[in-house]
Amino acid sequence: MLLLLLALAAAPEANNCVTCHTTQQDQRLARPAVLFSETDVHRERGFACIDCHGGDPTTPDKAKAHDPARLFKGKPVGQAVVTTCARCHSDAGLMRTYAPRQRVDQATEYAASVHGKQLAAGDQRVATCVSCHGAHGVRLVSDAKSPVFPTSVATTCASCHADAKHMEGYKLADGSTLPTSQLADYRKSVHFAAMTRNNDLSAPTCNDCHGNHGAAPPGVGAIANVCGTCHAVFAQKFELSVHSQIFDKGCVECHGNHAVLKPSDEMLSATGHGICVPCHNGDDKNDSGAKAAVGMRGDIEGLKTRLDQARSLIAGVKNSGIEVSDDELALREAATKLTLARTEVHTFEPARVTEVIADATKIVGGIDQAGQRGVAELKYRRRGLALSLGAILLVVVGLALKVRQIDQQHR
Amino acid sequence: MTLLQRTIVWLDERIDLSDVRHFVAEKGVPVHAQKVWYYLGGMTLFLFAVQVCSGILLLLYYRPSAAEAYESVQFIVTRVEFGWLVRNIHSWSANLLIALAFAHFFSVFLLKSYRKPRELTWVSGILLLFLMLGFGFSGYLLPWNELSFFATKVGTGIAGAVPFAGKFLLRVLRGGDDVTGATLSRFYGLHVAILPAITTALVALHLLLVQRQGMSVPIAVEERIKQGERVPQMPFFPNYVLRDVLAWYVALALLAALALFYPWELGQKADPFAAVPAGIRPEWYFLAMFHTLKLLPSHIAGFEGEQVGVLAFGAAAAFLVFVPFLDRRALQGRKSPAFTIVGVLGLLYLVVFTIIGHYAK
Repeated sequence: MLLLLLALAAAPEANNCVTCHTTQQDQRLARPAVLFSETDVHRERGFACIDCHGGDPTTPDKAKAHDPARLFKGKPVGQAVVTTCARCHSDAGLMRTYAPRQRVDQATEYAASVHGKQLAAGDQRVATCVSCHGAHGVRLVSDAKSPVFPTSVATTCASCHADAKHMEGYKLADGSTLPTSQLADYRKSVHFAAMTRNNDLSAPTCNDCHGNHGAAPPGVGAIANVCGTCHAVFAQKFELSVHSQIFDKGCVECHGNHAVLKPSDEMLSATGHGICVPCHNGDDKNDSGAKAAVGMRGDIEGLKTRLDQARSLIAGVKNSGIEVSDDELALREAATKLTLARTEVHTFEPARVTEVIADATKIVGGIDQAGQRGVAELKYRRRGLALSLGAILLVVVGLALKVRQIDQQHR
Repeated sequence: MTLLQRTIVWLDERIDLSDVRHFVAEKGVPVHAQKVWYYLGGMTLFLFAVQVCSGILLLLYYRPSAAEAYESVQFIVTRVEFGWLVRNIHSWSANLLIALAFAHFFSVFLLKSYRKPRELTWVSGILLLFLMLGFGFSGYLLPWNELSFFATKVGTGIAGAVPFAGKFLLRVLRGGDDVTGATLSRFYGLHVAILPAITTALVALHLLLVQRQGMSVPIAVEERIKQGERVPQMPFFPNYVLRDVLAWYVALALLAALALFYPWELGQKADPFAAVPAGIRPEWYFLAMFHTLKLLPSHIAGFEGEQVGVLAFGAAAAFLVFVPFLDRRALQGRKSPAFTIVGVLGLLYLVVFTIIGHYAK
């Protein structure tokens, strides 16, 4: 009897919400309880249905359990979702107990976001906390199965933003219709490739440029700053350029926004598919911008060709057993200069590019000389081996003659 | 009296060289149309000596660890005086040695020189051929470059297909589940200690038997001798020895020519995490076996195709060891065309499958 009492005392508090809801035929009622029971960061930390929905989980009586007098709130929607989540997530003291490093300003940020402002204006279709994180079966952001894990963010945002019906009626600041092609465009981008093919979780996805809780499109003047968060050097160089005064959309003018393609040297052209074409005319000899593009491109292509030749020369010499570690270092230095030259392109000052290319060309010249010395050494070795071969063959002839002589003596 | 003569007299007074003098003076080598094949064994032995000498020189600088092996070979060929030449010679000599060992093997097989009383000479010789292949396989990994790393992965993987003991063999060879630094250490130990020790003993036995029993003559020549015909002999010394030295020099010339026109490359350092480069295949002397295994269907009579292939190669190796005891006609001094056909087909198979394996994608 005593043991039974002890066992009852140790039993967890009854949660009739889960018991009852999991047996419901209507999946809208059953599914949340099932999800919550399987994997849920809140349940794992001791939270229960009552913490968000109120009511009385201790009674099996539905009417009593759902009694507003027992603070039953039902399913929070709209602003009530944010308020419910913020009760804990904006409480620094409480959050320190569970996740000390987690920020507690999500609700404030949300209020400043386009979503938050729309919600405040009465739009109930906008995203709230549960739209991205889920309501039941909530996982940590670091959980690869979470809808807000870096590889899933784009799909999660796209569940609304790629839905033309859902986005109907939403406009951009300039009054134009909000496009729904962002996910399709992002999937073509170098950022998406880095994230999915190279498993680089630091590659940008929607929230890295737009923010997450405070999601909003970057303002026109802020684009360079947003890109510059990662591409700091390019942003600095661009800041020095004449284009920074002219371009409304900063980096986006040339590189696009969601479909940021892998940059190539071929982009630097005022003819054909070059990115300078919309503003400059490569056929116009008086177009100084086009001339600058041609000059910078020529410098870069020239260095690339010389670098390739030097690499091939050094690789061949190395494979044949000539010491080239210093030259390999020099090759790396020249390659770094090539990258630097590409960075300088963003200043749109051909002289700066030429200066870097000249430095690199000097280095490549030194590598060429070392490569030629290696080729000469190989030739020297071959001559030595050829002489040895000649000497060996002479001995062979001598021995053959000697064998013939002693055979004759033997007969 | 020359210095050599004085040294011989000095030794003679102390250890009585009369037996050796008598042996050298009396020993003759039969002269007939097939006598050219006699020199292959001597050339193989010469290249083995080249391997030992060049191997010892490489050993002075080589470091058997995944972190240092490639760099140490790089150091040998770039910084060590004439290191490039030593490595070049070691690599080419290894290939030439195996080629000559195969040629020696086929000549002995087709001339039926394994027949009584030379069964033990054959068995020691065939074991030496297997050991040479072992040297080739273990030595190939030592530079720890991309090609050797992945080829060893494939090669040891084949050992894993041996029925019942495959998994155990694979782990023993690799020192784990995968080719790692542990594999390199094992292959190094095998290449510079275990195999040389066994090979030295077997070479000594092989040479002793050859000297004791003299040169074998083809069955046709033996039949003529039985009918009372006298086969001419040439003195072992100096006539045959000088011819042998001449053959060694031919091998040396071949080696120098190969090193001159096709310097052995260093390749890229092995990266276990890199994707397998296209066209990975073992050294040429394993190509026929490798390509055969590739062509086998996945299942043969309910067994895994690769397992059946490995078993078949094992059976072929066992057959080769016991050939002298299986070829009853040769044992009686009679011609055995069935074994000649087996030998010719074996040679054709090796040549054709090696060529196909080389060009296969």
